Amino acid sequence: AAGMAAPTREERTACWGARDEFWQCLDSHGDDAAKCEKLRRAFESRCPQQWVKHFDKRRDFLKYKKKLETEGYIPPEAAGKS
Amino acid sequence: AGLAGAGWLYLRREKEQRLRQRRLRDLRALALGQGDFQLQDTSGAPRSRSDLLGRWVLLYFGFTHCPDVCPEELEKLCRAVELLEGVPGLPPVQPLFITVDPARDDAAALGRYLRDFHPRLQGLTGTAEQVRAAAGAFRVYVSAGDPDPDGDYVVDHSVLTFLLGPDGLVRDCYGRSRTAEELARSVRRHMESYEPLPP
Repeated sequence: AAGMAAPTREERTACWGARDEFWQCLDSHGDDAAKCEKLRRAFESRCPQQWVKHFDKRRDFLKYKKKLETEGYIPPEAAGKS
Repeated sequence: AGLAGAGWLYLRREKEQRLRQRRLRDLRALALGQGDFQLQDTSGAPRSRSDLLGRWVLLYFGFTHCPDVCPEELEKLCRAVELLEGVPGLPPVQPLFITVDPARDDAAALGRYLRDFHPRLQGLTGTAEQVRAAAGAFRVYVSAGDPDPDGDYVVDHSVLTFLLGPDGLVRDCYGRSRTAEELARSVRRHMESYEPLPP
């Protein structure tokens, strides 16, 4: 087995908590990451780098999904209607 | 009118019976999870698929470095097992975890990880080849991502919980959207209508 041990249950919970605090901050500041730098750093310090990447992607996906649900899917403009 | 009602009920039961038999034949033809596997449990003892015969099993494939999905699915699986334990007269369910990351998830790592979930939760690992064969038998997609400078990586994989019957056949599979309560209800239904597949 290579490298570091997997996060323990306590470490997982701490990471998820830091992530949730960061996300709540983003939610209340219209996704302005500049307003949430301290929480971002806490999130990065509590979670393995691979998890930070994973959760960043997840947040993007959740936002995209919400956009689809509220705005609907807007297909690219058709070349021309027949 | 009573006789017609009884006749209709009989026909409906016959139809349900036929549908169940057909579904079982389809499941067997799908051959999901067929073929033996050779793995090791968290004490290092060799375990093969035939060790699971005679028991109901809820099986999940995952890895210990998983950010969120695996702990959530394991909690759910174990919660379903707990709910079923509360129903008198049902046979016990064996919760089982097979790693898709044998490079890091050796017996000791698995033991440490699974301890947090349910006392009867067992884990299996093996060589890369053995694990690949086991995942392949269940058509579980596995793809390790690129490692970062520290050597850490995540493993992309199908997120599925399989229900195996005492005859070893995969009876159902459950995705992320099912709740623990739905799992328990479904397992119970399978147990109550269980017929071993005719040879």
